[in-house]
Amino acid sequence: MTPLADRISGSAIAMLGAAAFFYGSKLPPVPGQQVGPSAFPMVVGTGLLVCGALIVLGIGRHFEEVAEADVVSHSAPEEFAPLPAWRSWLALLPPALLMFYALASEPLGFLPTAAIMVLVASTAFGAKPKLSVPLALIAPFVINLIFLKLLRVPLPDGLLPFPW
Amino acid sequence: MNTIIQAFGLVFAPDVLIAIFASAIYGLVVGSLPGLSATMATALLVPVTFYLSPIAAVATIITASAMAIFSGDIPGCLLRIPGTPASAAYTDEAYAMTRKGQAETALGICLWFSALGGIAGTLSLMILAPVLAEFALSFSTYENFWLAMLGLMCATLVARSSPIKAIASMLLGLLITCIGIDNPGGVARFTFGTTDLLGGIEPIPALVGVFALAEVMRALTEREPPKLEHRRLGSILKGQIELTKQYPKQQVRGNIVGIIIGVLPGAGADMAAWVSYAMSKRFSKTPEKFGTGHPEGLIEAGASNNASLASGWVPALLFGIPGDTITAIAIGVLYMKGLNPGPTLFSEQASSMYALYIIFILGNIIMIPLGIVMIRLASRVVGAPRSAVMPVIMIFCAVGAFATAGNNLFAVWCVALFGLFGFVMEKNGYPVAALVLGIVMGTMVEQSFVTSLIKSDGSVLPFFSRPVSSVLAAMTFAALLWPVFSWTMQKLRGQRVAAA
Repeated sequence: MTPLADRISGSAIAMLGAAAFFYGSKLPPVPGQQVGPSAFPMVVGTGLLVCGALIVLGIGRHFEEVAEADVVSHSAPEEFAPLPAWRSWLALLPPALLMFYALASEPLGFLPTAAIMVLVASTAFGAKPKLSVPLALIAPFVINLIFLKLLRVPLPDGLLPFPW
Repeated sequence: MNTIIQAFGLVFAPDVLIAIFASAIYGLVVGSLPGLSATMATALLVPVTFYLSPIAAVATIITASAMAIFSGDIPGCLLRIPGTPASAAYTDEAYAMTRKGQAETALGICLWFSALGGIAGTLSLMILAPVLAEFALSFSTYENFWLAMLGLMCATLVARSSPIKAIASMLLGLLITCIGIDNPGGVARFTFGTTDLLGGIEPIPALVGVFALAEVMRALTEREPPKLEHRRLGSILKGQIELTKQYPKQQVRGNIVGIIIGVLPGAGADMAAWVSYAMSKRFSKTPEKFGTGHPEGLIEAGASNNASLASGWVPALLFGIPGDTITAIAIGVLYMKGLNPGPTLFSEQASSMYALYIIFILGNIIMIPLGIVMIRLASRVVGAPRSAVMPVIMIFCAVGAFATAGNNLFAVWCVALFGLFGFVMEKNGYPVAALVLGIVMGTMVEQSFVTSLIKSDGSVLPFFSRPVSSVLAAMTFAALLWPVFSWTMQKLRGQRVAAA
């Protein structure tokens, strides 16, 4: 039986393919030409539909098992020791912080936004305040300096503009 | 001759030399930190290359990637944790040597044969590229289409995962390039009414997302690597000349395999190392010694992964088809700098091409002294706490993407979403390299596909009837069907064993 994750991801891909095909077929053609902007999404969509179906059926799973066994046999056993389940949810933190940056950097300014991000992220990595607080104060400042002076990219000023 | 002198002039300009030196140190440090790959090092460099001269920009990418691939061997040797995926194949072997008290020999092999491999790869680039350029001048859209398809298929073939999942990832990449108005009809596709999507998804934020942000995410879910103890190392290069004389066949075979894998689109240094290590064991007179700290496999695989780096540039420069994930990033930089990939690059910008060769050679030569310094300092650098490094990388992901996209915050959203997407894909066995290749090559594939169809009035016949394109088509289908073939062979062999 195909693992559950494969059945889910396979069906998602198949549905995406079907949607791309359908949406592609609705695109207006270029007058006087047989082939236009709809051809490519329809071809790709068909491919995705077929691949998704094959993944749901578990075809090609064998190759993955071979590769996984190879990696395991070449690595240290302690790397594969299980971690508590809540740790895998921590993975959502970096993209969440980036979205925070996208929303907050204009009103707050680069320095405070980045300081908050560094503080949160380094705490999540297990840093003590002795490390994370100075890091959150210094790192954004240095990065701002590099981008502003060396690369000449102005970063948002917000509430706390760069001092010079 | 004039062009060569010009090329030397280009390389030995102060800004280029500073760029080479700085990016060498950067590459060595990033490569040696477990969990930070050479591709990530390159992706984070892109915003910096924006503000450099074309030659300096290309130089930073070449040097940083070569150094990172070598220095990934350092934590592999000393901690049994590969610094980059390209070292994973022989980490065990190198660590076994360290346990036997031969850490300096193991590190020396990695350094010495990496440098030699890099130079061999460069020679292949110098010889292959101009020859192929001549040939490529006669290509039309049909050939370009098949070449791109062949490249995409090769990428799925070598993905070390289910080929179906690899093809699905690649197709997802192609679908992503459909977004926006940059298409044959100039209509807004898949934009869902948002203006941000009209311009399409830029490859660089997507790359930073899947290669850099996803790494930070993965690190959060994994254990901190153990601390590296300070150890006194003897002479690093001692005995390397003897080893070179003792194992010439392994080294040359490693170089050749690396070069071939590098030229194949999509397959890069990690693949080269896996294949070469397996080959070395297979053809060795003493295969039982493998895994116990035997230099043979280390030499072959170390020579191979660095050789693949330079030859990966062959398809990138000629056709804009990336040889590996690093050149996928490099192609973006080449376009940005007006060095548009294509066969004419070798006639019109000959001095730039020579400059590129010189940078490769120079990079591999300075790898030896800088590498020795890095090995000596390894216990300090490798021990840098993850909780300090990763947050800074995360900020660089945000600001770098923001800067490359012309100070647009939409790019930051892209990085976040692609990071999430790449992480989920990786966890479920979908190779992200194939996705990235699809994103980088999508526009080119669609253009050559649609233009060809318009030229032929909707008929698919010319795709197969032109001599060169028929050969390329046959190769593409062979690559598509190869997994089926190899699976059947295995089944048949299994049955025979069971019957006996």
